[in-house]
Amino acid sequence: MADLVSHPDEIKVVSKRFGQGAADIDRYLALDGYKAAQKALPMTPDAIINEVKTSGLRGRGGAGFPTGMKWSFVPKDSPKQKYILCNGDESEPGTCKDRLILEHDPHSVIEGVMIAGLAVNAESGYIYIRGEYRYLSIIMQKAIKDAYARGFLGKNIFGSGKKFDVYWHGGAGAYEVGEESALMESLEGKRGIPRIKPPFPAVVGLWGSPTVINNVETLASAPHIILDGAQKFADYGTPKNGGVRLFCLSGHVNKPGVYELPLGYSLKKMIYEVGGGIPGGKKIKAVVPGGSSTPVLTADEIDIAMDFDGVAKAGSMLGSGGVVVIDESTCMVRFAQYIMKFYQHESCGWCIPCREGTDWLKKTLDRFHAGGGVKKDINNIQYLAENMMGRTFCPLGDAAAMPTISIVTKFRKEFEDHLEGRPCPYDPVGSVRLLPVLSH
Amino acid sequence: MSVIKDISEVAKGMGITFMEMFQPTVVENYPDGPGIFKGAKFQERFRGMHVLQRDENGLEKCVACFLCAAACPSNCIYIEAAENTAEKRVSGAERYAEVYNIDYNRCIFCGYCVEACPTDAITHGHGFEVATFNVGALVYRKEQLLAIKPAQMGDNAVFNKQEMETQRVLPG
Amino acid sequence: MPDVNITVDGKKVTAPAGTLLIEACKTVGIEVPAFCYYPGLSLQGACRMCLVKVEKMPKLQTACTTVISEGMAVTTDHEEIHQARKSMVELLLGNHPLDCPVCDAGGECELQDMTFSYGASESKYTEAKNHKEEQQWSPVVFFDRPRCILCYRCVRVCDEAMDVAALGIQNRGSGSVIAPNMGDHLDCEECGMCIDICPVGALTSGAYRYKTRPWEMNHVATACTHCGDGCKTTLGVRRSETGMEIVRGDNRDKSGPNGDFLCVKGRYAFDFANRTDRLTQPLVRRNGKLVPVTWDEALTYVGQKLAEIRSQSGGASMGVIGSNRTTNEENYLLQKFARVVLQTNNIDHQRTADFAAFAAALAGRPDATASAREVFDAPAILLIGNDPTEQHPLLAYQIRNNVRLHKARLYVVNSESVKLRRQATLFSQIPSGSEAAFAAFLAGGDVANGANRDEWNALRDQLRKETGLVIAFGSELRGASIASLNKFALSVQGAKLICLADYANSRGAADMGVYPDLLPGYVPLIQGSKFKAEWGTLPDAAGLTLPGMVDAAKSCKLKALLVVGANPVFRMKLDPATFANSFLVVQDLFLSETAAVADVVLPAASAYEKSGTFTNTYGDVQLVKQAGEITGTKSDFEIIVRIAERMGYDVAKLVPFGSGSRADMGQSRGAQSGEADRHAVWLEAQGLELKMNPFDPTAVFDEIQRLVPGYQVSRLNLMAGNDQHTRLDQNGGGAVGDPALIQPANDGLFSSGSTGRYSKTLNTVMENRNRVEMPKVAAD
Repeated sequence: MADLVSHPDEIKVVSKRFGQGAADIDRYLALDGYKAAQKALPMTPDAIINEVKTSGLRGRGGAGFPTGMKWSFVPKDSPKQKYILCNGDESEPGTCKDRLILEHDPHSVIEGVMIAGLAVNAESGYIYIRGEYRYLSIIMQKAIKDAYARGFLGKNIFGSGKKFDVYWHGGAGAYEVGEESALMESLEGKRGIPRIKPPFPAVVGLWGSPTVINNVETLASAPHIILDGAQKFADYGTPKNGGVRLFCLSGHVNKPGVYELPLGYSLKKMIYEVGGGIPGGKKIKAVVPGGSSTPVLTADEIDIAMDFDGVAKAGSMLGSGGVVVIDESTCMVRFAQYIMKFYQHESCGWCIPCREGTDWLKKTLDRFHAGGGVKKDINNIQYLAENMMGRTFCPLGDAAAMPTISIVTKFRKEFEDHLEGRPCPYDPVGSVRLLPVLSH
Repeated sequence: MSVIKDISEVAKGMGITFMEMFQPTVVENYPDGPGIFKGAKFQERFRGMHVLQRDENGLEKCVACFLCAAACPSNCIYIEAAENTAEKRVSGAERYAEVYNIDYNRCIFCGYCVEACPTDAITHGHGFEVATFNVGALVYRKEQLLAIKPAQMGDNAVFNKQEMETQRVLPG
Repeated sequence: MPDVNITVDGKKVTAPAGTLLIEACKTVGIEVPAFCYYPGLSLQGACRMCLVKVEKMPKLQTACTTVISEGMAVTTDHEEIHQARKSMVELLLGNHPLDCPVCDAGGECELQDMTFSYGASESKYTEAKNHKEEQQWSPVVFFDRPRCILCYRCVRVCDEAMDVAALGIQNRGSGSVIAPNMGDHLDCEECGMCIDICPVGALTSGAYRYKTRPWEMNHVATACTHCGDGCKTTLGVRRSETGMEIVRGDNRDKSGPNGDFLCVKGRYAFDFANRTDRLTQPLVRRNGKLVPVTWDEALTYVGQKLAEIRSQSGGASMGVIGSNRTTNEENYLLQKFARVVLQTNNIDHQRTADFAAFAAALAGRPDATASAREVFDAPAILLIGNDPTEQHPLLAYQIRNNVRLHKARLYVVNSESVKLRRQATLFSQIPSGSEAAFAAFLAGGDVANGANRDEWNALRDQLRKETGLVIAFGSELRGASIASLNKFALSVQGAKLICLADYANSRGAADMGVYPDLLPGYVPLIQGSKFKAEWGTLPDAAGLTLPGMVDAAKSCKLKALLVVGANPVFRMKLDPATFANSFLVVQDLFLSETAAVADVVLPAASAYEKSGTFTNTYGDVQLVKQAGEITGTKSDFEIIVRIAERMGYDVAKLVPFGSGSRADMGQSRGAQSGEADRHAVWLEAQGLELKMNPFDPTAVFDEIQRLVPGYQVSRLNLMAGNDQHTRLDQNGGGAVGDPALIQPANDGLFSSGSTGRYSKTLNTVMENRNRVEMPKVAAD
């Protein structure tokens, strides 16, 4: 269990109850727990959706789709059962925020699922927890049991006569299942393989029914929006990028950890002030701004605002908020090789470009880093990654291609240096220190 | 005067004859020359009778892909394929040619089969004395077309010698 | 559905709403390449070959999953698209072994085609390819893992089209691998659809493996000779020592009622024809032993002997047993031979369904039968008795896919819990043997004892509401039950019927009048004036039925018996001495139990080795073409003509050759000479070719078309290889025989009468629970 960190610049919203024992239902209730759900109960679905829309909340899973809009896509007149799905299959290397929420504040997730359920007239919700987070499943199971015991869940929630059930489901260890439709397949008991879109989950989702699927952090934000008011939440961040979010600062920083900072916070400030700078006073070589799937930024590009649009302007993505700092002692080829090892291992094997592309990229990068590279390999790596980009069935191929392309283009010199000095001419110790962060 | 003129003409003519006597001979001493080709000389790319090559292990290169038969404009190649087994391995791949016949009644030595061969199994040799009194003898079987096993193959060297004797290189 | 207009590469395309882009492109001749897309199977979107540019879409889109929408502008020919496709092929070739020269798919491999089209000639990788050893999953299915491109077609066809789901995927990522249901081997229907549908050589057929290459074979489209479904099959044949050997069966051109479907029998059980113990010389019994003689000797002997018996004891002392597997022309010729040459009505065959009663019941409604194709489109299907999954694989396939793709309603009434219940809207398990009672109930009778009254009533009410109901029934329903069922069918709007029989040409044998009391077209003897006008005098009294002939033989009343392609000694479990006092002539492929006791055995050609037509159990007539050839055998057609000739009969009266038409000129030798001559097909279809040869079946087909009601189908379509639905045109008065005469064979997926016992494949697959391979019997 990770040690909690804090910084004065933080605005604690989702992380408000961290470290206060809120996993216990009494303690949670003492900390304003389940008040938002009770407040939302008499509200009309449209009113709840409007609140969320006003708050400017965007999906925290990576794509950053406006949450209110997503909820409004669910066909209201559909006679089918509707479902809320909480995506707790947090597997992105460099991202570890949902883990803290599920550990320290599981009830807020349940509450968020309930609010989403009220917003779309759903009667059941599923909390899907990553297979490796076995210990969190235990915490979540207890939380659900407690909530049922208090009558917060079940046939008559808070005595309102409404029905709402929440179930948890554990994954089996597949990164791919973090993709929403693959998660549904997994939940239905099939192979975790993405579905053809359209139809989108809002129309045809779990068991063919309209489904809202959101990230843990997104749903955990919902109670705060309802309770504290949408405008207050929106004001934390920049226009169009409402609220605060959890940033997972890791890699070569003095104080790694999960920080809740307003959107639009400066990346440079985040590294040097919140994170306490680089150990040993070394220089930054690169920064991964939003989990390993996002293109890396060079040291010159880090003076940006950390919101969806700001990072996009710099040519990368805010992603899931996993900021990985890489100092000058790190070999970028090793870094590329390492993340490709991950994607090669996690590719589901459904479509050709991802299945074969990640495999060949890994093989080539392995050899290249070990000193067996030739000059045309550099172009080949780029060629392969570019041909995967945008052509795969699901975003996993893009996730593998994007960082690779950015590393090859921005750090081409390092690749060329590998041709000269064999083996790796860069400090291998630095690379090794980075590993635990990325290892899964 | 005319006599002198005549003599000079003869001398001129004979001079060329004498000069040529000291030039190297250009006539090939075929069929009385040495070697299996009896003194006949060939350009390297001469398209003679086919040779089915073997790989470095002595296995047949031919995998019975039928591409030579498909490429053949005169339809003179006949193949029957069979599968290699662990006990009986003939070629390097899964399949080998159990029967491989070339009908030299029809072959036009165009070399398309050699072009088509994906494994470089069929090549043109330099054999050219195909004439026979019996057309039936012009259908050559695989055994007649196969290259001899490479001599460096250790134990097989003895076997190769016998094969050298039994194997026809040029029809007698 | 309303039509949608789109533009593809500047061409305007109009297609119904809901059409997939890839299909819409096809309609204007623009081919979008794809590995994983297969019409009729669920969408995959995995191969990414069909990427196209759609206006206003940021990324390339897969044409196989995109549904067309109004005003869509699509580009399929663009540098970016070419690059995308090229890179896909490059990625596939990264791990794909370059063993095309030995691969069975070489020459008909989709990956090869794509590589030629998009040119990925350069290898970008230096690492070793992922290798795995080849696996044998069953006697007929081999899997070569490295060749697999993971298009999942096999998995889907097995799961969706076949409802077997024997294939799945193991592992993930680049380690993904197709795996059989039993871990290292298959337990399935062995239909081989997975092999057929595999775009590369990953799944290969044990029967065809490494034997030859696609371009080395001649491909002959003919009808399958096993069950009554009459699937069209394309046989690959090549020269062999004995003539022409069949090496492969499939239906890749998807013509015929079966599309690309074939079951284990159609795909592999042609191997009986290649057996080395086929009879290739006539045998005559001398001193109690069968000894090989020449054809001339044998035929002269048979001719003399039959003529002698005819003149001594009369036609009534002779009998003929016809076959369910010979062509229509042969059946027609055989009964004509019996009636006009032998002058007897003692002709019958093993009846596997009561077609006589079926024809009588449907009298006056010639269009009330459904074709095999109609089963695929029918809005509702009622199945009474039979187990199509086992006995009529094509029917089961059509029903399954109709339910899956067209949401047809299926009602299954059976005493067993047949597999098709899984597709059924309603499945009613009735007490064993109460099928007839159910038919009577449908026609208004009472509920049978032990049956669920409410269930039956509800079912009948629901069935009456249907329109276009197709009713298929097995041989459980005979005689009067068929009439009851027809009565019910009349009460349902647009209902059509199917009578299910066991063998490839059971229907043909019935249609051609291989009956003691019915002339071709189920015409009763008494109404046969049309035939008499053409044939001359005919015996008037009804002849002996098959059991009748056996009894007559036992009581020494049957002096001669000609058995064509049948095995009554085995099938009816007769004492081999039954025919001891009859002159027994057997025309067969093998020395069967009946042949072994014969006086003369004439080696016949199998249905794959002759020309003619077959009528399947639905009444679809199809062309049978010669594929294989076994030196020494003759078609039954030729044998009958030659016997008639030796009996001193003018064969021109038997086979109306010389009229109208054409010289065979070797055309009937099948694949070798006739295939290329398209003009000849047209002439033949128009009936314009000279028939100068008494062994030309088309001369008899002319007569069939002239005399047999319901067979006036389009000649051109038939000759072009299409199935043509005949009409069951009977105008009443047909005899309804004893239901006990119906002796269904009840062959399953892995048995096929006598031929099935001679098929090595059928007797090596482990799913065949009762393997009864014929021991090799040496002809002495």
